[in-house]
Amino acid sequence: MNIFPRQLNLLPIALGGAAFIGGGVLTLVVWYYLSPKNLQVGYAPEQPIPYSHRLHVGELGLDCRYCHANVEQSAEAMIPPTQTCMGCHSVVHSDQGAEDAPADAPLRPLWESWRNDESIDWVRVHKLPDHTFFNHSTHLYGATNENGDQVAIGCESCHGRVDQMEIVRIEEPIAMQWCLECHRDPGEHLRPADEITTMGWEPSTEWAAQVEAHVAAVNPPENCSGCHR
Amino acid sequence: MSRRKPYEFREPAKSGPVVWRSLEDKVASPSTRKERAESEAGRQGFVGGLLGSGGLLKKAAPKEDLLAKQPRLSRRGFLATTGTAAAALSLQGCVRRPEENILPYVRGPEYSLPGIPTHFATVTERGGDSLGILVTSHQGRPTKIEGNSAHPSSRGATDLRGQAFIWDLYDPDRSRFPVGPGFPAAEEPEPAAEAASDEHPYEAPAAVAVSARWAGFDEAFGALVAAHEGNGGQGLRILTQPSNSPSFQRLRGLVKARFPQAKFHTYAPITDRNVLEGARIAFGQPLAPIFDFQRADVVVALDSDFLGLDTGNVRAGSQFGPRRAISNPDSDRMNRLYSVEATFSSTGASADHRLRLAARDIGAFLKNLAVALKDKGLELDAVGSAVTATDLGAEAAAWLEPLATDIIENRGRAPIVVGPRQPAAVHALAHSLNHALGNFGQVVDVFPPVDSEQGDTLASLRELVSEIDQVTTLVMLGGNPVYDTPGDVNFTELLGRDGLTSVHLASHFNETSEQATWHAPETHELETWGDQRAIDGTLSIQQPLIAPIWGARSALEVLGVLSGERNWRSHYVVRKTMRERIANPVTFEREWRRALHRGVVAGSANRPVRLATQPAAVAQALGAMPANEGTLGGGTVEVQFLPDPALFDGRYANNLWCLECPDPMTKLSWDNAALMSKTTRDELGLSNGQIVRLSRGDKSIEVPVWALPGHADNSVSLNLGWGRTRAGRYGNAQTWPGLAVEPDWKAGGFDVQAIRGLDGFDFAGGVSIEATGEEYELIPTQEHGYMEGRPIAIEATVEEYKAEPEFASYRTVELTVPPLWETQDYSAHEVATGRILHKWGMVIDLSSCTGCNACLIACQAENNIPAVGKQEVKRGREMHWLRIDRYFVGDSDADPQVSMQPVGCQQCEEAPCENVCPVNATVHSEEGLNDMAYNRCIGTRYCANNCPYKVRRFNYLDWHNHLDQPWSMHGAFPHVRQMGFNPNVTVRMRGVMEKCSYCVQRIQEAKFRVRREHRQLRDGDIAVACESACASRCITFGDLNDPNSRVTRLASMNRQYKLLAEIGARPRTTYLGRIRNPNPAFAGSGEEA
Repeated sequence: MNIFPRQLNLLPIALGGAAFIGGGVLTLVVWYYLSPKNLQVGYAPEQPIPYSHRLHVGELGLDCRYCHANVEQSAEAMIPPTQTCMGCHSVVHSDQGAEDAPADAPLRPLWESWRNDESIDWVRVHKLPDHTFFNHSTHLYGATNENGDQVAIGCESCHGRVDQMEIVRIEEPIAMQWCLECHRDPGEHLRPADEITTMGWEPSTEWAAQVEAHVAAVNPPENCSGCHR
Repeated sequence: MSRRKPYEFREPAKSGPVVWRSLEDKVASPSTRKERAESEAGRQGFVGGLLGSGGLLKKAAPKEDLLAKQPRLSRRGFLATTGTAAAALSLQGCVRRPEENILPYVRGPEYSLPGIPTHFATVTERGGDSLGILVTSHQGRPTKIEGNSAHPSSRGATDLRGQAFIWDLYDPDRSRFPVGPGFPAAEEPEPAAEAASDEHPYEAPAAVAVSARWAGFDEAFGALVAAHEGNGGQGLRILTQPSNSPSFQRLRGLVKARFPQAKFHTYAPITDRNVLEGARIAFGQPLAPIFDFQRADVVVALDSDFLGLDTGNVRAGSQFGPRRAISNPDSDRMNRLYSVEATFSSTGASADHRLRLAARDIGAFLKNLAVALKDKGLELDAVGSAVTATDLGAEAAAWLEPLATDIIENRGRAPIVVGPRQPAAVHALAHSLNHALGNFGQVVDVFPPVDSEQGDTLASLRELVSEIDQVTTLVMLGGNPVYDTPGDVNFTELLGRDGLTSVHLASHFNETSEQATWHAPETHELETWGDQRAIDGTLSIQQPLIAPIWGARSALEVLGVLSGERNWRSHYVVRKTMRERIANPVTFEREWRRALHRGVVAGSANRPVRLATQPAAVAQALGAMPANEGTLGGGTVEVQFLPDPALFDGRYANNLWCLECPDPMTKLSWDNAALMSKTTRDELGLSNGQIVRLSRGDKSIEVPVWALPGHADNSVSLNLGWGRTRAGRYGNAQTWPGLAVEPDWKAGGFDVQAIRGLDGFDFAGGVSIEATGEEYELIPTQEHGYMEGRPIAIEATVEEYKAEPEFASYRTVELTVPPLWETQDYSAHEVATGRILHKWGMVIDLSSCTGCNACLIACQAENNIPAVGKQEVKRGREMHWLRIDRYFVGDSDADPQVSMQPVGCQQCEEAPCENVCPVNATVHSEEGLNDMAYNRCIGTRYCANNCPYKVRRFNYLDWHNHLDQPWSMHGAFPHVRQMGFNPNVTVRMRGVMEKCSYCVQRIQEAKFRVRREHRQLRDGDIAVACESACASRCITFGDLNDPNSRVTRLASMNRQYKLLAEIGARPRTTYLGRIRNPNPAFAGSGEEA
């Protein structure tokens, strides 16, 4: 006597199939939801104005601190106020500021911000968790080594070759391990403080020879309270 | 050597402890203590803590069952719970991080850099005084208050109220729009408002309706002004708070000129009217005394809480504290404080000798003292013949001879300080004695009052009440008279009279606003311009840190409208007042900016008044003093009305920090009580928490009793400020919805104003007391973090200190057990690598600590510490990183002495908490800080269980949101409160452990700062929050690797000791043993006091 119907022979196959599909769905769900893309290398969100760092930094040669002023004083790098853009753009491409400028003119949001006194909704690219306190100023200001040289970290070390980016993207994995790698061995990332905004800087041989003195001067923290408070 | 029994490895003394935290603790037998210790252990246990007392599944088993091996949770229940928790956790993770926008300025304001806080000097009002403060502002959001060292009343420090009042700025229950005829009050919380505020959190809800309301208010107020212009102000009355503002006084003059018939009245539930009146009797004009406690060698405080709640407390603390912190036993710097009082105040706790005496007998005591001084040859003129001795009992009599001798020996440096509740004649007598002793010009000076026209506030209220029939318009600027006037003034009825239009300006829609015709929101002090004088006349400009968050007017602005000023905006009004001082327009701008920058107007302090006392007038006033009516006892008591240490007169009643701040002496949190001595309580056959009815005339109140050791017999102390009905969502005396299966619970205290009267305003005899048979749950924190009788707070008398200068560390047992890990030498790094390393440490001097709680609130404000609510405080879950332990010392439970001890994380070098953390969430930094990484913590709470000092705090729930929405995850958290957070400190989540970090954010900020300044950290670059708030400077923080730092010097002082040194945790916090300076001539001083 056969108490199980014949169709039941298909059950293992069905279960296997369900497990395969279900597992796949689960993997996808976890992959998608638990890996925020704005923490990944290569994240390059579209900005309200297609601002080109390649053009402004790479070709025109603006210093980073022209816009990101006070980055050497403050914990934050500071997105510039509309006013800073208008310093040039009230003259350069000012035709896009006319009332009858085409709706898709790239600088239209800038002019709208200026006229209506409303902030531009820039999209945050580099985001640290709330329990992590990063301070731009101390990295850029650096420390004085025993020879009296001011030793600091360049923008390039974390943000990559911004001068070659049409759209700013995350260049390095901004995770604790990556931070600690440098905090444990900052030698190769240290450069003279007056070269912090130089893109593609290469150390001279004399500079490279003094790495140990540089590291001793900056003395980066490796304990929790260095970043978590 | 020490009066405290030296530490020995033995059972606690069979005869009962010499040091105790509460009456229950004192009488407890060893077996009871063991039981309590075990029940404590059960409460801390993992399952018991998470499920039992949290009430998640079922009510916790009774305490005695906690150790019994009975399954309190079935296997299925456990699986269901963990499964649900796991599901909830995974759901919580499944939130895609949102795309975030950065919104820069369009036009960047000058000097405002994102990420860099700015600091502004301003001032906060203290009745007839002001407190200069520095406010830290993060991009336009003020977050923290510090003292202004240039201000004479602050001297760089603050008090509890100064620290806490910034919370009120972000109070979600602040009034947001005018209410009046045609503009009804919104039901709270307004659902539409909440929805709107989600979109634009910091904008007023329904902006159009609000502007219409303001227009309606302006129109109605304009009509009132116009009506009174016609009749010269007939029937116009203005009820104000006592003001220290020159602009207020100028506008008052303008209003009086415009409306000659109008009258100003001044009322506040707590004022210095007796002080001023006493000086008027003694000198012929009202004057405010200022004592110089730095120079005083002997201080006699009569019903005075000059270190705690009286005017000038911060200044007094900063002068008094250093005189207690002696480093050399032979030093003659140590002063001596005698305190005579009914309740046990912070000042009494700091006293070397304390006499408990009913408030009504204190005048008689001073007369007795005057007689004793006269007998010692003190020349008192007519006053001498007016004072007669009264019998106040043996103890008081025994005081007189040695006290008088001590005063006479220290003539010129022995001020007699009388508290503001004592009648004016007592103040006058004290002035006469101070004068005769040559204290004037030495340790006491009198200054003109900041408002010479103010007069007696109580008489002013009386006048308003008696003339209420003539009043057609009553403008109330601030205050809350319906709540805070005495019980025999029915202000509700007065406001309800036909033909009376009342306008009430207040920060909250409170009890008075409900009864008034019109209500308009009042600005917070940090939102408006103003000017204020300190008690010595020093003028400060009050500058706004932020535009009114909800839209509001200041009292100056309403008065400006009344005065007919062309421009009534407070900025203009204040500048115009200032122009009267500095006429030259060129110097004006310079002086104005300098005053704003420094927080004081240079050279604005008054000169002390030099006047001779008028003995005849004092004698006459003494003669006119009414005799005490009736005797106390046998169901009749005296009651006295005190400002609450945290809520003051009720103005901070919705302030979460204040509500949860334990009272310095009773350690009660979230409630007030009728404080009395244990003897009185036992005579009535009551126990703590039982409700009594206090009746005076036809008025009565019902309040739970609480026995405060050291309270005078047959006297009851009632704190004002509690029992509000329209304070706000947190402060209303109310029933709170209980969590899960717990029964509903009540909090918010009891309104005691009903039995206060226009007579008997400060204290009143002849109050009958009877039990009602009902009970109320009062929650003291005094037994939390119980130390099982170990010697924690160590003290000695000067004599004992001389005999054994190292009394505090005396017989400290050296650790013989090797530490678990290799011992790190935190000072050796420097030699090995040439790098400058710091070894952070703290010293707390118990000798100068008054237990005032300023540090506790400063810590709460700096570190984003939540309040948890009364029910959770009951479970021992309060989150204060710094707790102040109050120990009673001595064998007598009627008259003990008190030791205060702030305890935060000791930052142990061999930290027991670190060894047990399974995830390395708490580890040591190379500077010796016991770091806490919140994002690593998984909430096992092993660390808290292993902490010998019980200083770790666990986020059992989402505390910040807990009182608004018990189980939600930041669901209904009022957006406006988020503005008050310190952006440099993580806001902790549910399920993580936290504790004092030595304000590591301040350490890091200072390191960044000195790098930019090309220098090394110097001593004093870092002031941690508790240190900078402390008026008596009993907390010192610094680098122990720096041989010249203050902290290194103090930590190596002879009276240093470490808490529980014998367990080998090697704490970085060092305590300095408390020194008392009893008069050797007193019987009972010394060993057995």
